[in-house]
Amino acid sequence: MNKKSITSPILGERFLRVEHPSGLTILLCPMEGYSTAYAMFSAKVGSIDTTFKTQREEDFVEVPAGIAHFLEHKMFECDDGDAFAKYAKTGASANAFTSFDRTAYLFSCTGNFRESLEILLDFVSRPYFTPETVQKEQGIIGQEIRMYDDDPGWRSLFNLLGALYHVNPVRLDIAGTTESIAQITSDLLYRCYHTFYSLGNMVLTVAGNFRPEEVLETADKILRKGEEVRIQWRKAEEPREVAAPYVEQSLSVSTPLFQLGFKGEAGDSLTNLRRQVVDEILLEILCGESSPLYRRLYDSGLINGTFEYEVLAGRDYLCCMYGGESREPKKVREAICQEARRMAAEGIDPDAFRRCKKSTYGRYIGMFSRVESVASLMMGAYFAGLENMYELLDYVRDLTLPELETRLREDLDPRYSALSVVNPA
Amino acid sequence: MSQELNRAELAEGVSFTSIRDRKFKHNYISISLLTPLEEETVTANAILPYLLRRGSKNCPDFTKLEQTLCELYGASLSADVGKTGGYQLLTCSIVGIDDRFALEGESVSAGCARLLGEILLQPNIIDGAFPEEDFRLEQQNLIDTIQADINDKRAYTVNQCRALMNEGSPLAIPKYGWVEKAREITPQAAAERYARLIDTAKVEIFFVGCGSPDGAREEFSRLFGALDRHPVPFRLPPIVEKAGAVKEKTVEMEIAQSKMAMGFRTGALADKKQMDAAKLMSYLYGGSPFSRLFVHVREEKSLCYYCAARFDSVTGVMLVDIGVERENQPAARAAILEQLSAVAAGDFTDEELESARRAYVNSLRSVPDGLSSLEGWYLAQILRGSRLTPEEEAQDIAQVSREQVIAAAGAVTLDTVFFLASKPGEPEKEEESHE
Repeated sequence: MNKKSITSPILGERFLRVEHPSGLTILLCPMEGYSTAYAMFSAKVGSIDTTFKTQREEDFVEVPAGIAHFLEHKMFECDDGDAFAKYAKTGASANAFTSFDRTAYLFSCTGNFRESLEILLDFVSRPYFTPETVQKEQGIIGQEIRMYDDDPGWRSLFNLLGALYHVNPVRLDIAGTTESIAQITSDLLYRCYHTFYSLGNMVLTVAGNFRPEEVLETADKILRKGEEVRIQWRKAEEPREVAAPYVEQSLSVSTPLFQLGFKGEAGDSLTNLRRQVVDEILLEILCGESSPLYRRLYDSGLINGTFEYEVLAGRDYLCCMYGGESREPKKVREAICQEARRMAAEGIDPDAFRRCKKSTYGRYIGMFSRVESVASLMMGAYFAGLENMYELLDYVRDLTLPELETRLREDLDPRYSALSVVNPA
Repeated sequence: MSQELNRAELAEGVSFTSIRDRKFKHNYISISLLTPLEEETVTANAILPYLLRRGSKNCPDFTKLEQTLCELYGASLSADVGKTGGYQLLTCSIVGIDDRFALEGESVSAGCARLLGEILLQPNIIDGAFPEEDFRLEQQNLIDTIQADINDKRAYTVNQCRALMNEGSPLAIPKYGWVEKAREITPQAAAERYARLIDTAKVEIFFVGCGSPDGAREEFSRLFGALDRHPVPFRLPPIVEKAGAVKEKTVEMEIAQSKMAMGFRTGALADKKQMDAAKLMSYLYGGSPFSRLFVHVREEKSLCYYCAARFDSVTGVMLVDIGVERENQPAARAAILEQLSAVAAGDFTDEELESARRAYVNSLRSVPDGLSSLEGWYLAQILRGSRLTPEEEAQDIAQVSREQVIAAAGAVTLDTVFFLASKPGEPEKEEESHE
């Protein structure tokens, strides 16, 4: 078994990377003094994986939107009972989530760690779907979709992604639609499973209160090496231009909500991870709470305390977003775009750069202080192709002004922006 | 035990609680002012944390304040309004990285304590009033916040149920107050409210983190020591034990999914044993993915995505909420009540009870791993005059018997049903338009 210890001189901490004989990579970060152990068994598959094949198949398959999320729900059902019922015997708190590009099964526990880990590795390794159980789940997920239909923040985000992207599947709602999930069958679920849930396409990350030997012994017991699966995606030919500069919808809300998005220059996953770090600093400098523009917008009543920013990045997509409540979202868009153009022409204030770098550095230290965020970070960095997650701190510390200015021109170009508004009905 | 709790009285009605644990990388300080929920004052109180967050006498400029926070490695300064029992909680807090991570040897923790002290106790009040411009903005923001309670339909339904359940009592008063009252506040009135609260509120200061709390304690001791305070005695209102006739209300809205919240009274919780039994019972009933509600209402009947129970030990209220299709509401309601009757009839296995117990104990033992979960835990303990650790609570939960759980479920009575119904007929498909 190939083991490697990766350390951070800044934090004085380390984690262990193990290449398990089953083909699974295991990342382990014991954290002294914590009561909780947090384990995530994740597959590199999400809502963007809509058209794919492996070396076993001749043709690409196009699957209904929302299938990765549906699969996540269905994995909890096993031929020998429900996974939650098994966790009930250990006391672990278990959950799972599906995002654009990953699916994670997780638990946190303060005791019976080995037993809970065994349950996790076992149920994710053994798919069990029947037409009856698939039909039952359509009712439950149908209600989940209806819940999100009423969520103004969620709607404004997905309307924005639909406006920014023509064909990139990041534009699709993660849970799909009631129509798309009606097309899901147990056969399609098996095909997705056998494509994406091979151990070479997964990672196990554990942080907190546990001993590495417990994990490795459990992995030896449960995991078996399978056939190597080579996944091919049909990449959507996404133009640089946005699909629509403006989109709106009416819902029962009190004041309009908006999301303003800039479609960035997407590279591969690792490039996008680095760009995400840099772009977050950029968004803070441009219109974070410490910026003059934020102050102008706030003082003129155009934005309020709900205003925030976020960078969304993964395979083939990168976008920078500002959002919140505003009575005049179009004026907010104008002001932010104008400031982006001004900064691109006049350069970024070096003092703001230094300050925001410092605050981001502090924020990143924070990500290493909770068991759940350490386990997530190890997983995210691994899937992006970054071997050493601590390098994120170095990215921030070593960032230069010219690099930031390049990102400003490429990722915050107003020509590639779109505005999504949810108006009161 | 690595987490020793220290508590000191800094001034009359001002307590400082510290929990130090070297595993953390941050230090967190919060100051909460507790004041009775009253119709006349609740709205003007609610604006104060946000007004204070705009800046202090020493740093009246919001942008400069934010830049100072950047220099403190992105320390996060928050203002918040909450409520517990019949009290409104006005909180200002700050969290920053420990000094050992500062790249240039600065003392982040001292900077954070000083800033928080200035924000709370040296506000930018000039001639008895907050600055007009800051005030107008925060007044509008408060109005927006009050009105935005319909945006989150699940939270809205729960809030409406609670308000209906407690009609006529302080518990029904919304934590941000009312729009009409918000319009009436003036910069002078806000300053007067501030002075009154600093004089009379119960003040709870928390320091949780890896660093030494000494600096913060000295800072707040000095600041509060300079005041001549007249705190109002703190008393949580008694619990309503039993429901009368069931109160029902239905409101229609243009939504895709209907929501229902059911409020229950849980009987006399006179001693700790009854309280523990009620907590464990609500876990068994609807607190986990293997609870009665999850397994029988969601998984077996496929009626919903969520259906859960939560118990508030301060008010003795258990609340069940569900997102459901309008036409399925009667079936959901019947199923929820049926599961409660099953628990009261002892129609559950020992294994189910032990599962609920394990899950609850697991959540208790996770409390010491988070700064804010520690603060939340001990603040709740202190307000009820206790100092119980999560581990001690876990040991108490281990003692609850099957009979006690059955008795706890038997004491539950349905008080209120609030139903947020989608307008009849298929909701219109989203209208999207492009510019």
